[in-house]
Amino acid sequence: MAQMGLRIARALQPVAQPVLALAATLAVAAALLALGGHSPADAFGALVQGAFGSWNRFLSFTLVQATPLLLTGLAVAVAFRAGAWNIGAEGQLLAGALAGVALAISWPEASALVLLAATFAAAAAGGAAWALVPIAMKTRMGVGEVITTLLMNFVALFLAQFLVQGPLRESRGVFNMTDEIPAAAQLAPLFPGTRLHAGFLVGLLLAGGLWLYMSRTPGGFRVRVAGASPRAAVASGRFDPARVVRWSFLASGAIAGLAGWIQVAGVTGRMYEGLSPGWGYTAIAVALLARLHPGAIVISAVVFGALGAGGGAMQRDAGVPEAWVRGTEALLILALLAVDRGFRAASKGDS
Amino acid sequence: MNAADAHGDAPPAARLAGVTKRFGAVVALDRVCFELAPGEIHGLLGENGAGKTTLARVLAGLLSPDEGQVEIAGTSVRLRNAADARRLGVAMVHQHFSLVPRFTGFENVALFNEGAWTPRGRATPGYRAHVEARAAELGLAVDLDMRADQMSVGQRQRIEILKALMSETRVLLLDEPTAVLAPKEVERLLAVLRRVARSGTGVVLVAHKLDEVLSAAGRVTVLRRGKQVLAGPARDFSARELAVAMVGEPVGRDRFSDKISLESDGRESADVVASLTDVVAGSPEAPSLRGVTLAARRGEILGVAGVEGNGQRELAAVLAGVLQPLSGVARVPSKPGWMPLDRGEEGLVGDFPLDENVALALHDEPAFRRGPWLDWSGIKKRTKALLADADVAAPGPEAFAATLSGGNQQRLLVARELDRSKELLIAESPTRGLDVKAARAVRRRLVEFARNGEPPPAVVLISPDLDEILELADRILVLVRGRLLPVGPSDRSATAIGALMLAAGDAVGRR
Repeated sequence: MAQMGLRIARALQPVAQPVLALAATLAVAAALLALGGHSPADAFGALVQGAFGSWNRFLSFTLVQATPLLLTGLAVAVAFRAGAWNIGAEGQLLAGALAGVALAISWPEASALVLLAATFAAAAAGGAAWALVPIAMKTRMGVGEVITTLLMNFVALFLAQFLVQGPLRESRGVFNMTDEIPAAAQLAPLFPGTRLHAGFLVGLLLAGGLWLYMSRTPGGFRVRVAGASPRAAVASGRFDPARVVRWSFLASGAIAGLAGWIQVAGVTGRMYEGLSPGWGYTAIAVALLARLHPGAIVISAVVFGALGAGGGAMQRDAGVPEAWVRGTEALLILALLAVDRGFRAASKGDS
Repeated sequence: MNAADAHGDAPPAARLAGVTKRFGAVVALDRVCFELAPGEIHGLLGENGAGKTTLARVLAGLLSPDEGQVEIAGTSVRLRNAADARRLGVAMVHQHFSLVPRFTGFENVALFNEGAWTPRGRATPGYRAHVEARAAELGLAVDLDMRADQMSVGQRQRIEILKALMSETRVLLLDEPTAVLAPKEVERLLAVLRRVARSGTGVVLVAHKLDEVLSAAGRVTVLRRGKQVLAGPARDFSARELAVAMVGEPVGRDRFSDKISLESDGRESADVVASLTDVVAGSPEAPSLRGVTLAARRGEILGVAGVEGNGQRELAAVLAGVLQPLSGVARVPSKPGWMPLDRGEEGLVGDFPLDENVALALHDEPAFRRGPWLDWSGIKKRTKALLADADVAAPGPEAFAATLSGGNQQRLLVARELDRSKELLIAESPTRGLDVKAARAVRRRLVEFARNGEPPPAVVLISPDLDEILELADRILVLVRGRLLPVGPSDRSATAIGALMLAAGDAVGRR
């Protein structure tokens, strides 16, 4: 009987941490809202209404916002799983978007299917190329990837600014953005009357594929070993963990690149400077909240998507500034770290 | 040499009384008494894991004892950290130096010495001259303007010693200072230490090389498995007596030797499954293996004795095929079994369940693939079989490796590695840290493994534990300073091998 209880507790533990963190975050956020003179009930009510109030709100706002978070979250998880601290999903996302847009607007005569395949490939290649610099610096010079990937984000941002103000600027020359991509390159809505595009499906498929890959294939197993214990990987004599890490890093960049292009092809139709409000950074929280599990990243991306979608409604309907939502996201990360530390201390105390 | 006598009436510079230090179930120091007179060089001897470094770290305030007392200059003290010890005049030169690589010698000396800096963070005027004078006084040849990362190991060590001796020092602890030095540098170091001792500082020289200690130390203390087994004036003991004290008396463990002489003829023509010829490996500047030649034959346990740090890790890695020699030829089977030294970090992944740890060795075998997928149910089945077979106390294949005791981890590792290796198994200190029962089980498995099998595999047993080598090995080599010395059948005793291990008995090796 006790054995059974133990087993259940163990099975629940991975879920318990994020749930506890979420609960703690809501409690602290409620207290802060009350201190700030807002009614927590009204604010949360508006947030939930805004995110889940109707099918259309859920599909067109929450899931649309969740899509880039899902993709970048998966990108981050792939790298983190292998022990490569890729903080550069933001830059890789921009690089991927730029590559896709550049190809799409310079090849309007291509058929839809060809253009779809080509732009996806270009975006993945763009994101991977952006990850290549930190990978090379890590391999050749031993420079830590946390710094290089972070700095490459700014390079990508400035490159995007330069391109949309110069070579890729719209032909009207009014705004700092590119021309609209050809209709053939755009992703159609999944349901008529909503804004949810096929990119979300791509994210779901990718999550499922990564889940299978990580848990069921020898390649995915190697990624996990390389991340969990490079020394054990070397000692196994079966593979070179450094190589596995490099490929995971590259794949991470490619997925982040896809996220950028999917946002353009599914939502904006154009590339402009402010394409990403920092998804590449929020992605880290998304991935960590899901404990790097591809399936759980779907859920955590939807949670963050709902926060984003509901934030606007909260501002409109409850008069709570949207900055509160950003603060809540940050709180969630802090709570996650605190809970994780708490669990660790508790399990140490046992032994 | 007899500076200690000159300070005869002064209280000891440092004293440990009945000090016990435990790490979990391991007793690193067991009611150890130790006394250091002012002005003496005290040799602290013992095999790896005997407790030498632990003792030094207790004195340096880095570890607090579980029982017993620490006295500095006759006063009982409680050292909470290294700074406490430093204030009382205890300085330690660690095995791995702690210099800032990008700083010059002078900057490193000045860094942690009060008085070197003005409140505004500038060097105190005249401090540089002070440092130079002190270096000259101690006879330390140092280049104060060279960056630490450009210095040789010897130069870095001298900076480290100068750093320790810039302020008033009663006790200077050096942890294996000679391990990293060339013979000529050892001479210079010992000359410096003699000078330091003459000025009244008590010097503790932690070492496992007997000749060096005997040439410098006035008194010696020998630790064995955490216990003080011998203490007294160095001149009262021969190198051989010290060697025996360190490795223990031979107690009827030559029982295998008859069998070996009987069977060795039959083995001459047996298959060689792995061979190294003049292998040099490690860092190019200071290779850890310096021309190693050996052959591992089927059905034989080849014992490699020797104190850790003499090239053991590199030898294992070369045999396992994960380290390429710098020169020489290594012919090793692909994917041999390997029980690495650090089983928690290298052998197993603590955060993984047991079946995934078994998969680590099996995941590329066709038998455990189903198309592109890993056959987890097959792996789980194999894991259960291994757990049962090796008598591992674990709830099941889902248990995390880190939750197992060291003994059970090792049983699993043994089972896994024996299961996969058909030609060669490398076992590094396979019973370290295990209790008697678990150690016995592991040893029995190794012997059965090497004797059975069709054809039987070869086992290379690398261990500093002489008892283990003598009990298990058919043939023994001693790895000393990156070279292998053979042990003839008549030298199969702890004394003879111990002397070889400590490189105090070159004559034995040449005979």
